[in-house]
Amino acid sequence: MVLILSHNFADTRLILKALTTFYGIGPVVASQIMARHCIHQTARIGSLPDQKILDLTAELSTMKIENDKRREIHDNIQRLRDLGTYRGRRHAMGLPVRGQNTKSGQIQSARKLNRVFKEK
Amino acid sequence: MHPTSRLLARSVWKGPNIVPLPIIRPKLGEKLLPIKTQARSATILPNFVGLKFQVHNGKIYHEFSVTEDMVGHKLGEFSPTRKRFAYKQTKNR
Repeated sequence: MVLILSHNFADTRLILKALTTFYGIGPVVASQIMARHCIHQTARIGSLPDQKILDLTAELSTMKIENDKRREIHDNIQRLRDLGTYRGRRHAMGLPVRGQNTKSGQIQSARKLNRVFKEK
Repeated sequence: MHPTSRLLARSVWKGPNIVPLPIIRPKLGEKLLPIKTQARSATILPNFVGLKFQVHNGKIYHEFSVTEDMVGHKLGEFSPTRKRFAYKQTKNR
């Protein structure tokens, strides 16, 4: 087990996959980080030397991920809501924001994602 | 890196959508008169801050005053065009 930013990862885990478990890091950003630290795409957590793990942790701690990222997105939506824009209103109603149709059942993902969520 | 959706919305070479609006600056001591307009697609420019607008939504002129945060948005975003559906029971049947 290896600890990166207070997350435990098994030794057999791919580093690419381990990085994408953080909220705010997708496959593209993960591979960019790995390229910066000269880590191979198929490398696993167990094969990393300690220094690389420290470097990775240092890099991740400077990035806007996890709760910081969630708060950023929440703030952006809240800004639209407070301004009284159409987009903010649609977010609050849980309906499509960019003019998609709402007649049929194709708005399930909007219902799921578009809302002004409360701070935990 | 990808450009933001704000940039994707409109070509940069066009610049903001500037519509000639009848803006009259009130003199000191005079009341601020709202600007009545149907140009919903006009971009809110930095010099609009503090002005009052009445923007048409197809039926009425919806009034709001521009704050600093609204710069860069369109006038129409602040004038809702849709009415919430409400069921009304018919009396005579």
